[in-house]
Parts: sequence; C-alpha cells; structure tokens
Amino acid sequence: MLPTTSEYYCLLVVVFFAFWLLRGSGRASVGLVLLVNLFFYARWGWSYLALVPAAATVDFFLARAIAGTGRKPIQRLPISISIAMNLGLIVFCRYAPATGLFLPLTLSFYAFQALTYTLDIYRGDARPVGYLTYLTSVTFFPTVAAGPITRVAALAPQWNWKGKTLTSEEGGRALFLIGLGLAKKFLIADYLGNNLVNRVFDLPTLYSGGDVLLGVYAYAFQLYYDFSGYSDIAIGSALLLGIRLPANFNAPYRATNLADFWRRWHITFSNWLRDYLYFSLPGKRTKWMPYLGLVITMVAGGVWHGANGTFAIWGLLHGVGLALFRFWQAARRGAKASESRGIKIGAGLLTFHFVLLAWIFFRAASVATALQILSQIGSLHWNVVNATPQFVLVLAIAAACHFVPKDWYDLSLLNFNRTPAVLQAAAMTLLLLAIRTVSSTGAAPFIYSKF
Amino acid sequence: MLPRKTALAIATFTLIALLAPNIPGKEHLPGITPRNVAAAFTLRMPWPVPALPPAPPAPSVPVANAPKIVAAAPQPNLSVPPGSLDHFFDALARPGATVRILHYGDSPTTADSITADVRRLLQRRFGDAGHGFLLIAKPWAWYGHNGIELNASGWKIEPASQDRAADHFHGLGGVSFRGESGAYSRVTLPDDKHTDAVVYYLAQLDGGSFTVSAGDTVITSVNTAAEEKKPGFAEFALPEGTKEVELRVTSGRVRLFGYRFDKDTPGVQYSSLGVNGAQVQMLVRYFEVGQWTAALRHENPDLVVVNYGTNESIFPEYIDGEYPDELRKVIARIRAALPGASVLIMSPMDRGVMEGGAIVTAPALEKLIDVQKRIAAETGCAFFNTFQAMGGAGTMGRWYAEQPRLVSADFTHPLPQGAARVGALFEQALVSAYESARR
Repeated sequence: MLPTTSEYYCLLVVVFFAFWLLRGSGRASVGLVLLVNLFFYARWGWSYLALVPAAATVDFFLARAIAGTGRKPIQRLPISISIAMNLGLIVFCRYAPATGLFLPLTLSFYAFQALTYTLDIYRGDARPVGYLTYLTSVTFFPTVAAGPITRVAALAPQWNWKGKTLTSEEGGRALFLIGLGLAKKFLIADYLGNNLVNRVFDLPTLYSGGDVLLGVYAYAFQLYYDFSGYSDIAIGSALLLGIRLPANFNAPYRATNLADFWRRWHITFSNWLRDYLYFSLPGKRTKWMPYLGLVITMVAGGVWHGANGTFAIWGLLHGVGLALFRFWQAARRGAKASESRGIKIGAGLLTFHFVLLAWIFFRAASVATALQILSQIGSLHWNVVNATPQFVLVLAIAAACHFVPKDWYDLSLLNFNRTPAVLQAAAMTLLLLAIRTVSSTGAAPFIYSKF
Repeated sequence: MLPRKTALAIATFTLIALLAPNIPGKEHLPGITPRNVAAAFTLRMPWPVPALPPAPPAPSVPVANAPKIVAAAPQPNLSVPPGSLDHFFDALARPGATVRILHYGDSPTTADSITADVRRLLQRRFGDAGHGFLLIAKPWAWYGHNGIELNASGWKIEPASQDRAADHFHGLGGVSFRGESGAYSRVTLPDDKHTDAVVYYLAQLDGGSFTVSAGDTVITSVNTAAEEKKPGFAEFALPEGTKEVELRVTSGRVRLFGYRFDKDTPGVQYSSLGVNGAQVQMLVRYFEVGQWTAALRHENPDLVVVNYGTNESIFPEYIDGEYPDELRKVIARIRAALPGASVLIMSPMDRGVMEGGAIVTAPALEKLIDVQKRIAAETGCAFFNTFQAMGGAGTMGRWYAEQPRLVSADFTHPLPQGAARVGALFEQALVSAYESARR
C-alpha cells in the first residue's frame, strides 16, 4: 500500500485516532502500530508475514547475544549471521521473481534498518531494547517502501515517551509535509515523467538532442520530487503519531561539490553507507585506501539499486568523483575556500551537471541506451519539438522551488500552523482537487519503492 | 490524549472527502468512497476465495517465442478475400523457392521493429533466404536492421517523408542518397552465409562510379553514367564467407537507393522498408511512379505489406477526405507494377492519447482502420487488423501498464517486448491462414 493511494490515507486516519486514544494506556498504542505494520506487510504479500517477523526475531536474539558478551571474538559470530541474513534477505527478495516467486517489496529498507540495530550494539553505540519496541521500530509502516532509513536506536526510545502528546505545531507540520509530498509527487514528478522524461529514456533516438537534454534535466527534478515527496509523506505520517524520522533531503542540487551533494541527497542512505560500510573498510590510515574505499562504497551503493551495469557505472562515477574531490581537498589543505559568489555558482553548476551525467546511467534501461542519450545530446541538434509550454513551465517551477530560500518554506509552514483547523482541512481539499485536475494517469509507483 | 487541532483538521478533511463524491451531480469529485474504505482494510487471502462468475475471455496475446502452430486456428483479425494471398501461399509451398516480402511501414519499421520479429519467425519456419533490403546509410539516428551494423559517411540523404528529392526518385525504400568521391557505406552482415547482393542506384547522364569491396577484394565496380535517367541494379556475387561489405564512391557523383542481400538457400526474405513519418500519401505524392514500378519489378516480391496509419490517425479530416482515394491509388500502383503479387494492408497498432486521466485510443484511429478494411475488401487485398489483434481499444494503456512495459511513454511506439508480441501476432495469423489454405 503506497502513500499515493486513498486506501493509505483511510488507514492512516483510523490509525491516528486509535493511536492517540490508546496512548494513555501505554503499550497498547505501540502494539497497535505493530499490528498496523504487520498489516502493511501482509498487504504487500502474505509471505512477508513469515519472513519479516522471523528475521526480526532472529536479529533481536542475535543483538541480545552480542550485548551479552563484551568479547569481540565471540560477538563476531552473531554479527556475521545478522549481516549475512539481512543481505541475504535483500538478495532473496530482489531475485525471487527469477524463481517464479513474486515479492513486490524488496525489504531493502527493512534490512538496512535491522542492521543498524545489531551493528550499533556490536559497536557499543546502542543498547538492546524490548521485543515489542524493537519489532515495532524495525517494521515501522511509513518507512516500509522506501525509508527514510531510521536507526532503531533513534526510533525505539520514541515509543516510550510518557505523557507525550502531539502539539498543534507538530500536527500542522505533519499535515503540511504530507500535503507537500503529495504535491511534489503528483503535480511535479509524475507530470515531468509522463510528459517527456519516460518517452525520452524509452526511445532516445526518436528525439532531438534538445528534447533529450531537456528530458535529462527534467529527470533530475522528477527523481528529486518523487523521492523527496515520498520521504515527506513518510516523515509526516510518522509525525502524526509523534514519531520523528530523520530528514532525507536538503536541496541537493544546491550542493557546491560532490561531498556536499551526498550530505543533501538521500541523506539516510548515504549516512548508512558511510557509517556501516565505508567506516568498516580497512586501511583508513594508508595513503590510497580511503580513496579506494569511497569508490568501493559508492559502487556497492550503485549495485544495491540493481545488478545492472548502469547502476554500477552510476556508483563508479560518484565514487571516482568523490575520491577525486577528496584528493583535491587534501592537496590544497590549508588553502582558504573561496567566498566568491561566482566561484560558488560555477562549482554548483559543475556539481549539478556531474550528477546529471550520472543520472543518465541511473535512469537508462541499459548502458547502450545511456550512450544513445549521450550521443543524441552530443549531436548538437538543439531544436526542442516535444516539450510543450506547460511542460517547460512545470520544469521551471520545479527548478525554482528547489532554490527558494529555506525561510520561505519556514514561513509557509508557520502560516499553515497558524491557520485554523477547518482552513487546514480546506487547504488539503484544494490540494486534492488540484491533484485530481493535473494528474493524468494516476500515480506512478514511487521510483525508490522498487529498490 | 487526542491532539485536538490536528484531529479536528483531519476529521474535517475526512468529512469533506466522504461527502464530496456523494453530492448529486458531483460524483466526479475526488474523495473517499465506501469502496476505498473497504479496500483499505482488505487483505487478499492466501487461500482460494469463492470463484466469481467467469470473465469473458481476453484476446490471447502470444509471446515472441511461442510454440509453433500445429493446427490452423481461425484468424478473426486476418481477412483473406478469395485468392488474395494465393500467390504468396503458392510461393511458400513451392520447394526450393525464395519468397520475397516487402513491408512498407512508418517509424517503428525504421528500426526494424516488428519486422525483425516477423522475419525471424518466418525464417525459422520456412528457411532463411537472406536479409533483404537495407538503406545505404542511416537517415535517422535510430535506423537499423536487426543483426546488421551500418556505418556510412559523406551522403546527402533525402527521405521521401522529409527533405525529399526534387525529382521524387526515392527508389524502393523511400530514401535517396547522393554521394561524391569519398562517400562510403559499410555493412556488417549478421552472418557469413550471404551469397549475392544488389545495389539499387540511379543511372544518369553525369553519373560517377562506385566500388563494392569485401575486405581487400573489390567485388564489383559500377559506372552509373547513362544516356537516360533510370533506375539501375548492380547485381553481384559475394565471395564465400563475406561478412562485411564496403561501398565507396570512387569518382563523380552517384545516387543510390539501397542494398539487397541474398542467400542461395530457399526460404523467406523479409525486407523492412520503413520511412520515418511515412503516410500513404508519401507513396502517392512523392514516389515517382516509373522508378518505383521499376524497383518493385526488379524486386519481384510475392507479398507486399502496406502498413501505414499511425501518422494519419491524428488527422480526422484527412481520413474523411483524401485518405481513401490515396490508399486506393497505392494499391493500384502496386498492382500495376506487380500484377501477380499478393498485397496485404496491415492496420496500425493502437495509438494512445491522454483523456480524462486515462490512456485511451486516439479518436480517429478506429475510423481509419475501418477505411483500410473497407478498401482492402474492395481491392481484393488481405487485411490484418493489428489494432484488434493487440486487444482493441485501450491496448496502449494496458500495454503501458504491463511490467515490463511493452510500449513507450509516447503511447505510440512499441518497446522491443511489445514489438515482439505484434510480430508474433502477425506471423501466426499469416501461418495459420497458410496452413488452412494448404489443407
């Protein structure tokens, strides 16, 4: 059940009221969320009801075993089992269709969250929690399809806040985020995808270089608005239950270098890769291993998206780019960073276009298609015949909204919070009508839900 | 403790959403219906549920590698007026024969989409008599034939649908190539079994020369100079094991129209003659009749497939106006050039447009197909209704929704999987009709 369906919101409304009515009775509200989590998995497929609680229970006891001994050699066996089991779960779900078993949800995001628990305990960064709390946290329904990847250690304590209620500011922020996420998804991402991006990436050789280039720019914004839209809805849904999930995006195309980009794009995933993969690689004090580690980490991140050459190239581009940037930083250590606005804009444009180049490989169905796209752009035929004025307008709005000052966002949120409840409901109704008017074919699945 | 303000906002919104679709006359408004609510809390049971009444059978859509048809089945999507395909069927049945098929089409055909699948399936069934026709260079970036590599440089390219040649000499395949000394075209064939080739050129007063080589060996040298302007055909044998052929203009100016590659084994040769943006009117208005007739006669096909309509389908006034007569003229010209050959009109695929939030069939498409069907019956041509064979109205929407997708997001062009389905549908219809006729 994806948060683009009316069913999701019917359920969310019921869960919201039931959760807060049960909140006074402590664990009952947590139990309710666990039931809802399991219901979500069952909606994806009954096999998940066997897979997920079983894997989570094994992890729970492995974590206990790790915490029960302070000796690293003994801890290595349970942590190895946990890593193997969760990575195996990702691989199994990803490739089960080849065996005839259809598993629509890849469980990647579940597995990443589950690993934060055992790895944090192994490293001494977290302590074991109760079974109900653990199971509810690791299976939390807003994060099921595409994150944000939340550390169990950060999520678990939030279920136990005694006397916690939802302030009107938090509630308003939750509704605002859900509305914003829906608008991002339906009014921008799907519009861009349906009206040029998908066509250009399907059969690039049918389009001029100008059309293809516009399609590639549009894809950058489609992906951002799609994924950040999902993240906003997930964060807003969790916040309706008083649970704070970490931010996943921070205006990534405003980054002025590649390292900055990865601090702004899919933040929870890049943090996960950094904390649990990059930091685990050996040779930190050697001369070249840190650079190689970046490449290995990013290629692994690429291949996680799919065992396909396009994702490997995408990861490789980012890995090499990050390594080169790190090398450049090390070479000019001590030099003062330029404050020049022109240089910052130039660095931002360079970073954006490097990211854009990598997106071509990320989105293309094959390496050959990606090369066709580059070849079409390289043909220098700049006539644009397939982009309507409306499309260009939506793309321009998408770009402009990405660059609006954060103060504007804060002001909008503040105004929404100050608005009476009835008018908040009216605003949501207007948004629903706008979505109905603009969206044409119904929602496409969230791009990241397939990973 | 229930958070009051948020709860009130959510309750108000839910009330509006519940009421909106129930306001008389406002049923189209978005909102929550009892069906949505029920669906939200419904789980699909893993065990069998009581069966619903059986749904009407969906049209079967075979996949590309479907098993061979062992018994002829009725083909509701292929109309075969008496005698219309006899010549083609006789050729298929004749032992040791080379059966030539020309498939005229629009943009999908320019990438050998659909035609490559039909070629592969027919050749698997009846034998491989060679690749058939190929253009000299790529008029469009996506032009290409399955299994063939084509590299060329130095040509002025004039497709009949776009920058057409002023004299409307576009050869067999609808594209004219002008080259001067140094222009070349290099073809890498899918295998080394081709034994003969033809180069279609224009013999003309100030014609230059070109050579065709395989490796370091010049196979043939052709002087295109002639006293009168007329289509020329340079036929030559390929050295055994030839996989790559290079054509090079050696002097003066030459004008070429394409190649044909043959094998000395019996079977089917399926020539894909796609022109981007092509319509029936292109054949009528921009194919000079004499040179097209000469090219068709030289080719001497057993079946000509006329597969246009996608580009016409968005011009309803044209369909009501000149279209029927122009289609009749095309058939008449083919018949005049090839009195014995079978002719088949193949309808376009479904073409989708956005309407009211759904991908629906382009409004004039079915009208166009009706015209094609009527004229096929009237002129004694066979008719294959690709649109119906795919599943009829709304197929683009359904094929777009399939995973993996079968059609592009322009709701017009098939992706390789979709092309394979259409190719298999057409091939099965032909073979089924052939097997019925042979009984």
